[in-house]
Amino acid sequence: MDQSEIRAKIVEIIRVYAKDKDALASATDDTNILQDLKVNSARLVDVILDFEDAFDIEVEDEDADNVNTIGDAVSLIAAKI
Amino acid sequence: MSLPAATRFNLFVQREVGRLWLVVWVPTAIFVLSVIMRYRIRNVRDLRRRFRRLVRETDKPILICPNHLTMVDSALVTWALGGPWWLVFHYRWVPWNLPEYQNFASVWLSRIAAWATKCIPIVRGGEREQVSKVLKRIQHVVSRGDTAIIFAEGGRSRTGRIQMETIAHGMGRIVNSIPDCHALCVYLRGDRQDRWSTVPKRGDSFYVDFEVFRPESENSGMRRSRDFAVQIADRLVQLEDKYFALQQATA
Repeated sequence: MDQSEIRAKIVEIIRVYAKDKDALASATDDTNILQDLKVNSARLVDVILDFEDAFDIEVEDEDADNVNTIGDAVSLIAAKI
Repeated sequence: MSLPAATRFNLFVQREVGRLWLVVWVPTAIFVLSVIMRYRIRNVRDLRRRFRRLVRETDKPILICPNHLTMVDSALVTWALGGPWWLVFHYRWVPWNLPEYQNFASVWLSRIAAWATKCIPIVRGGEREQVSKVLKRIQHVVSRGDTAIIFAEGGRSRTGRIQMETIAHGMGRIVNSIPDCHALCVYLRGDRQDRWSTVPKRGDSFYVDFEVFRPESENSGMRRSRDFAVQIADRLVQLEDKYFALQQATA
């Protein structure tokens, strides 16, 4: 799976949680998941657990600390699959 | 989990400064609650007897996880369980707190006061890296025998009931990261507390109940921490249901 496929799948997962759907439509690797897409910080854990299910990976709490942007999520997942 | 030596030293200094004037700030805080605000804890003797038995019988790391309705909940929980003079002689059980930065530490005077009273301010929903640093400090102090309070919900409950959709992952993460760490679930509610507020109404009387347990999960990683957080919140919901059943029975 290449990075663009990972990114597309990530955006689909985040769509459920993002309050700002317009920002999601124009999201780039630099888009901040909490601040730009208005995902509730309490739901970020659910987002990452959905990544685990979708990509069949396991994420540690410390790994998740580094996920701020869509690009961070792509890098994390690419390193684990 | 390892903290830089400088951070560990800072936490040590912060803890000992708090201890130096403990005899002033703990009784003063409780004076404000009990005399000025006229709060009362229902069945306080039985409650403290149960709590002190727990203290005698456990040598496990403990994270205190209460429900959250007002901004003074952590002070109320600490007072309810300990009592002023008992706390002065059992400094370990004066818990570390994670107050919201904007509420308690945005001006220098309250920042100093927070620092000197075992508080580590946190920006809720802030940068992940900053939140993680705060949680690692709490992991450190709890693993070394102190207690800390982390509210089970990410903020004060807007509905007045435990909100499972806002449960704080951080508490599961801390319990998961410390071997044999137990969660002390505390349910606290003022008789006149319908929903969330800044402080409870003056003269209010509080129902307090608690349970201690070690969450279990067959998962690993972040999912294990999540399982722990959900189990802790579930336990609080059971305590809340018990409260409302008692209220109904006595109505």
